Formats: sequence, structure tokens, C-alpha cells
Amino acid sequence: MNEDLRRKIAQMVYDGKDGHMPSAFSIIDIIEVLYRDFLKFDAKNPQWPERDYFILSKGHGCLALYVILERHGFISSRDIAMFCKSGGILGEHPDCTKVPGAEASTGSLGHGLPLAVGIALGLRLKGMNNKIYVLVGDGECHEGSIWEAANVANNLQLGNLCVIVDWNGSAAQLMPRDDLVAKWRAFGWEVMVIDGHSDSELHGAFGRVRFQAKGTPTAIIAKTVKGKGVPMIEGHGQWHHRIPTEEELRIIMEALS
Amino acid sequence: MRQQFADTMLAVGQEDPNLVVLVGDISHFILQPFAKACPGRYYNVGICEAAIVTMAAGLAKVGFYPVVHTIAPFIIERPFEHIKLDFCYQKLGGNIVTVGSAFDYATLGCTHHCYDDFALIKTLPGTQITYPACPVEFDVLFRQTYRNNALTLFRVPGQQHGQDFTARDIKFGRGIKVTEGSNLTVIATGPQLGNALASRDALDDMGWHAEILYIHTIRPLDMELIRASVNKTRRVLVIEEHMRSGGLGDDVLRGTINIPDVRYAFLSIPDEFVTGYGSYQEHCDHLGLNREGILNIVRNEFGTGGGR
Repeated sequence: MNEDLRRKIAQMVYDGKDGHMPSAFSIIDIIEVLYRDFLKFDAKNPQWPERDYFILSKGHGCLALYVILERHGFISSRDIAMFCKSGGILGEHPDCTKVPGAEASTGSLGHGLPLAVGIALGLRLKGMNNKIYVLVGDGECHEGSIWEAANVANNLQLGNLCVIVDWNGSAAQLMPRDDLVAKWRAFGWEVMVIDGHSDSELHGAFGRVRFQAKGTPTAIIAKTVKGKGVPMIEGHGQWHHRIPTEEELRIIMEALS
Repeated sequence: MRQQFADTMLAVGQEDPNLVVLVGDISHFILQPFAKACPGRYYNVGICEAAIVTMAAGLAKVGFYPVVHTIAPFIIERPFEHIKLDFCYQKLGGNIVTVGSAFDYATLGCTHHCYDDFALIKTLPGTQITYPACPVEFDVLFRQTYRNNALTLFRVPGQQHGQDFTARDIKFGRGIKVTEGSNLTVIATGPQLGNALASRDALDDMGWHAEILYIHTIRPLDMELIRASVNKTRRVLVIEEHMRSGGLGDDVLRGTINIPDVRYAFLSIPDEFVTGYGSYQEHCDHLGLNREGILNIVRNEFGTGGGR
């Protein structure tokens, strides 16, 4: 799935000499489905008030967001070519004051969800029916602010809010007691568990979110593989923030062909 | 002062449908008139200050003017990175109204004190800091700034300075020359204006004719007023309930550094925790933040008889 986007991400990391490639491969399928079939947006008017919101809380996965924003016309191929270069707008974490379509400046973990809670509350106050999606990492779920916000969202009955948890096993590297399904349920959220690399399961899950102005918020726990698609970089080793050599790039591209 | 906060929220909230108030289980009862008059725009969110700050930024992102309110250390020091990244870095405006200025919660100990808030908020680009110490100041300063797309701190003290300023006297970013003087500039902020005025006659007797400047806006600081006075007097005393490091005194020093032959004295909180108990006034007395402390520091730093 999405080999072309993964190849573009790999090339960006190679050219930009920076980036978190496995983290982006972990979430690219989720974001691709969202933008293709579920999010309402206008790339020519990124601040369109009736748009749906997608907030990438795990900002280090931003390469996945960037290639999707380019595909849908928010940013240009030149922007992509300037990744991590002086004068470019795309860095290793998204800056919403620079990147059209990026709803939040994230990077420090634990900020995107409480921001999304405020957005969801505000839009409900305005009587609008925008949908608010926020993607968090499983490692990010170590942060206390995630659970503060999860608690608030349930108590405010923010039914217009959907969290996707990228459950790629990063969290369990440090804290093996990692039953995210039980945790989100305990916080009162509607929980679904899916394969985060399955087009049909992603469609099924996003289609089932009820998006009520007032109701139970939804958490989609997406089981994913860090580095998905390239056996050499899959898992939790040295590739988290590694730049491929020319030969390694060739192997990555071959795996994605 | 806290009642004025509630009254201003009620009045402004009825005029502006985009004002939203989030509190961390403080001032809940006095804000009930606002809650009733402005349904859906008041939230006693819970004991979760980081989430409250970033939620408020989310509200600002969709067009609201958020006010977050609780005890100063919990909403400044604890969620500082959330203020920095979610308001300031993302260029969103909002308002933080604190209670428990400096050591106002005198008997509750250091966990409830906050005397580094000027220093912290000043490090964040584009922020504004006000320190209103009479009710009309809060009302006027809030109305003048709450929707100007900056992050503004309102440090609301428990004590007042006792001066009867009118709304016309108050302008955001402008200090007030309270008394004319000739050879000593006394710059006071917060309730300490009262002590500055109480020491004036005794300073006169010592030969120091004090020009007293009152500062309710810490950032942006009215350096025009301060420089004009310091140019005349060449002696400066700054009085503030804040740690010396990063306080008003530092900005006064930096802003007047190219005026020759100036001597400075600073009456503030030294580099240590205020670990004692007792009343607010007893803390002030211990720290020398009183009339006698002013006379002592002027005598010790500048001598008697006036210098110029």
C-alpha cells in the first residue's frame, strides 16, 4: 500500500539528510485514506471554516503528512525538494505558521490532543459540524497531557473528536504494560482496534465514527509496523532517525517497487 | 481584585460572544454570574493545567478569546511549555489571569508561591504582562488587550496599592507618574506603590525628592517615561514583588544603560525560596518590602542629603 508515497518519503530523507522515515511509514496509510476519502478540505483555501481538521500530534511523523499535502495541492514539489533546507517551509516537525494545511505546530509530544479538544469544543460552541481527527503515537501516550485531554474530552462529551493511536510498539519498548485498548476504554472513549495498514479496515473504522456534536469521543487504535514496507528498516532499531546511504536508499527503493 | 475579574468577565462576556473562560477549580463561585449570562462559555475544567492551556489555544485557533485562570504557579510554571508552544509559537492570542501573586498565599508555602512569572513570560516572543493592583486597572487593561492576538498575563494580586486611579489614567503600555520629583526616581509595581508613597515624606526629609512612577504594564515597558525621569534624577530605586533575576529591575537597568552616571538600587525578592509562614505583610516585612525597607536601601545605597 502506498509504495509511491513511501518512495517519495525515502527520497526526501536522503536528499534532506534528515527525517524520521520509519515513523512516517507507520502512519502514511492512515493519513492517505483520511485525505482520500474522509476529510473535507479545500487546498486552495486551507483555512476554509467548514473544513475538517487533521492534527498530527506525533509531529516527527510529518513526512507522511507532507507527501499527502503535496498530493492534494496544499504544497508544491519545490516545497518537497526543499525539505530541511535553508529557505524551505518543511522541517522535521510541522510549523503551521509556514505549511499550508498543517493545522498545528507539533513536535513536543502531548500537545496535539489537548489542542484538538479546544478546537472541537470551540467548533461545537459555534454550532458547526466539522470533524476533528488527531493522530497520536503510542509512545506519545506516555505523556500525562494526553490523558488529561482524554479525560476532559469524555467529560465534555466531544463526539466530534476522533483520535487515531499509531500503535506501533514504540511505547512498549520502555513500558511493556501497554494495553492501550483498556486505557482508552477506561477513559470512557468508544474504542475500535484495526490494522492501520489495511485500506478496508481503515475505511471501515472511519466510516463507523458517529461524529455527533455531543457524544462519546472515538479512539481508533491502529496496529501498525514502524518502518512498514521495507524489511530492512522495520522495527525499533537504529533506523528511527537514520539517513540512508546511497546503497541503502537503493535497497529501500527496491523493496518499495 | 478577584471580584473585579469576575465582574469584568461578566460585562465583557455579555458584549462579546467570543469570550470563553476556563478555570482550574478556582473562583468557581464568583464566576457563576458569567456562567449564567454566557451559557456554554464557562468551564471549570478540572485539575489539569497543561490541558487547560492547550485547550484554550485550540479555542483561540477557531476564533475565540480564551481566558484561563487559576493559581499562578499552576498555570505559569507547570504548563510553561504549553504556553510557549501552543500560544506563542503558533501565534495565537489568549489571556492568563492568575491569582496568588508572588507570596500572596502566605501560609500555603512555596508550592503556592510564584515570583518568577515576569521572568518566564518575558522569555516568550510577543507576550504582554500586566500587573493591575486596583480594580479599575484590571477592567481597563483587560478591555484594552484581551483580543489583540497576543498572549497576555494578568497578574492579579490579593492586595491593592490604595490609589484611586480612574479609567482615564490607565493605558496599556504606559506608566503613570504619580509624584513629581527631582533627584530620585522610585519605580514601583503592584501593591508596592503604596509603600513607595508612604516613604515619600521621609525621603524628602533625607533630601531625596522622589519622582514616583507606577508601572502596571511590565511588558511592553514604558521606557520613555522611565528614561525621562532617570535622565533627570540619575538615581533609581525599583520595587517589586518578584525575584531580582528577570524582574522589572532588569528591564529598567537595560533600558537606561546608556544614560551616564546613574546609580541603581533594587528592592525585590533575593535568590532564595520564601520558606516562612505568616501573613502577606509579614513576608513583606521579612523581605524589606515596606516603608522602612525603602528608607534603608536608599540610605545605604545613595546616602542622605541628596546627590544632585
